[in-house]
Amino acid sequence: MQPRLPSTAIVIGSGIVGASVAYFLARRGIAVRLIEAVSPAAEATGAADGAVSVASKKPGPMMQAALKGVALFGELADEGLLAGAFKRRSTFIVAASEDECAVLEAHASALAGAGVRVDTLDGKTLRARFCALSPGARMAIEVHGEGHAIGYQVVHRLLTAANVKVSRNTSVQELMLDTNGQRITKVTTSRGDARADIVVLAAGNGSAGLLGLRDILRPRKGQLLITERAPALNAAMPGAIMSGRYLLSKGSQTSAKAAPGRGLGLVIDPLVTGQFLIGGTREDFGDRSTNDIDAVSQILRDAVALVPGLASLRLLRSFAGVRTAVVDGLPLVGRIPGTENGFVATGFEGDGICLGPVMGKSIVQMICGEPTDVDLSVFDPSRFVLSGALQ
Amino acid sequence: MTDAEITVIGAGPSGMVAATTLSKVGYHVEIIEQRETLGGAIYRQPVESAMAGGPAAGSNARWKTIRNAFVKQAIPVRCGTVFLGIDGDGLVLIEDRRKGRVERLRRKGVVVAVGAVEKVYPRTGWHLPGVSTAGGLQVMMKETGRAPEGRVLLAGNGPLLIAVAAQMARLGNPPAALVEAGDPFGHMATGVALLKHPALLQEALLYLMDVYRSRIPWLRGAHVTSIEKEGPALLVRIERKGLEKRMSVDRIGLHDGIRCNDFGLPPETLSSKDAPVVVRAGDCREALGAIAAEADGARAAQRLANILSGSAEASGLDAAINRTRQAQDLLARLFAPIGNVSPLAICSDETILCRCEAKTVGDLRSLCQHLHPMTGREVKLNGRFAMGACQGRFCADNTASLMALMNADSADLPPRAEDLTGRRWPVRPVSIAALTAAANPNTEKPNNEVEQDDAS
Repeated sequence: MQPRLPSTAIVIGSGIVGASVAYFLARRGIAVRLIEAVSPAAEATGAADGAVSVASKKPGPMMQAALKGVALFGELADEGLLAGAFKRRSTFIVAASEDECAVLEAHASALAGAGVRVDTLDGKTLRARFCALSPGARMAIEVHGEGHAIGYQVVHRLLTAANVKVSRNTSVQELMLDTNGQRITKVTTSRGDARADIVVLAAGNGSAGLLGLRDILRPRKGQLLITERAPALNAAMPGAIMSGRYLLSKGSQTSAKAAPGRGLGLVIDPLVTGQFLIGGTREDFGDRSTNDIDAVSQILRDAVALVPGLASLRLLRSFAGVRTAVVDGLPLVGRIPGTENGFVATGFEGDGICLGPVMGKSIVQMICGEPTDVDLSVFDPSRFVLSGALQ
Repeated sequence: MTDAEITVIGAGPSGMVAATTLSKVGYHVEIIEQRETLGGAIYRQPVESAMAGGPAAGSNARWKTIRNAFVKQAIPVRCGTVFLGIDGDGLVLIEDRRKGRVERLRRKGVVVAVGAVEKVYPRTGWHLPGVSTAGGLQVMMKETGRAPEGRVLLAGNGPLLIAVAAQMARLGNPPAALVEAGDPFGHMATGVALLKHPALLQEALLYLMDVYRSRIPWLRGAHVTSIEKEGPALLVRIERKGLEKRMSVDRIGLHDGIRCNDFGLPPETLSSKDAPVVVRAGDCREALGAIAAEADGARAAQRLANILSGSAEASGLDAAINRTRQAQDLLARLFAPIGNVSPLAICSDETILCRCEAKTVGDLRSLCQHLHPMTGREVKLNGRFAMGACQGRFCADNTASLMALMNADSADLPPRAEDLTGRRWPVRPVSIAALTAAANPNTEKPNNEVEQDDAS
């Protein structure tokens, strides 16, 4: 166990998780050095859909964590840190077929049972509130109290507020242990060695090599799209739309339309800029951050089927990112097994934006020996036998 | 047409020569062009019914040679068609704007020959209506055969300004003045070296004669410091040798040189399993102008043919390209701006840097006031530079250069325009309706049936 509070820390990775850890450490007066292989928000955080949402969660620890995550975004926005960077809005999950209606109704009661405020909207009510929607939308559930935040903006706010030193373009080569094998004594990097009282690894897919977790952490690619500005259409959408099919895609089930190993979901989020963010895919093969016309055209076809007005806009950008997924679907958050002063927080797959800040805060509470906002026991990395890459 | 093995992008001199060369050695080639006519910016053809402004006799002969050789090969041409990029599966994506659909092409090779763009430095008021690029005015003259109306000021740096002034004079409305940051008369030795390039010298002298005959004031060693609205006109402040001069004009053409039009383009790929071989040709590889573009089109075609046939790669660039490069170097020295201060360094904080998102030089300066220099990508994401509909064509270069100035003492490599623009498709905004028309053929059928059911 940690004998005393640390005075110095190394955080590896400056995605939203690493930046949150750094922020909450710095807020306690701990001197933080952030080591970053590329630049802040260079990977999944910079290519995320930005959902701060419980809408698609099934009851369980991830839903509980997401509820805390959404609440923390609200607090940080109210206290000014994320003012203007967190857009409060509802999520509407829309059913376009009888199957989806059935799935949605069951999902709505599950959410309500967990204390989430949910309204069911029949077709008529839905179209009255949401004139941009196609007549093909049969019903929807409105999940209240959610929001949207752009990952790289959150990282920028956190790093600026924490005023931590970020060593960009610096890759970590090894975490060196002492002779007992219990303390990380130094971190070797491409730009020399670094030492600190504690080390927190939040390096996404880059964590796999450092901890010998290649069988446990899996890259899962996603593709997203951004349209040009369309203020009128944007204003006609009171919240984000998620296709009822997304619930299926999230369970890694491949929809009939998609290539093998690829799930296609559909989220249309009206952004504060007047643009629309449209996504996305979950792809189990390949880790290249490329966009392909198959996925892009299919996503857009689905999007236009739900919101016909999108057809008259132009696509401005496509981008892709690679999430870090854990084989059992739960993130790794906690002490690196066998070490006194090493911690890891990664594997949030598609929930990094929503969970990054609250998990960052929780692991800092754990480091300081306090009760944690989120119960981290189910996320404890010791549930996997590490293959011993630590030396 | 769908059987083409190679797609050439851009029907300017380099693209047309490349297509002709590849066709001659037996490849099935097609060429796509975003405009409605062949020739590119340099040999821009008048739009129908417009009076021909007419290029100079020498360039007219060059154009005829290129066009005749091209026509002889019967190469399919698709006008009104824009290159979007190459996707993750190696498919070449084009948007046929006439048909309103995106097409996906499986190709062995791609020649990217999309030319150059003008560089324009930001100045106070450069975003006002009535301010365009000098090259934009030139293209307008080629297409309409008419000079821009009213009092026109041409300002910036480089020989193109003189060419545009001469063309305006010939069409009956010489510019009110020509403001030039350099002073070619201050480099006599360099000027003498131009004797080695008689064609270039002759062209330059012809233009200069027009400028003198029309008594166009040529203010050398001068620059525009600000542009303001003044009723329906524009008030321009010009600084020369510490003195300020004011002029009232109706239009301004700015120009600070040319650069490769390589925003967002896929990199050259010389061997690949699943993707086409991609080579660049002409001004989008190295901005050297029309004559070098012809030679470079032939060089790129030869290189592509060699790679595809597995024979040894052609060695380097040929003599014509080297020679043009020497000439361009001479011109650059001749027109070197007077004084050592970058025009970006003296921009006021209020100067617009990114027009699409209305971000200013001051916004960039405050964003970059951190202890550690930010990368180009961070500046893009957090400052929204190069994020608008122009996708960085107007601001990426200037933003990267300004960042480099601010972080001059950083050990890291200076940021490049490419760090801001990235290299993703679509390289230009594309109609979503056209993209949905490109859905996977395997899934197209059932959806079509649904649409038919709805309609009946």
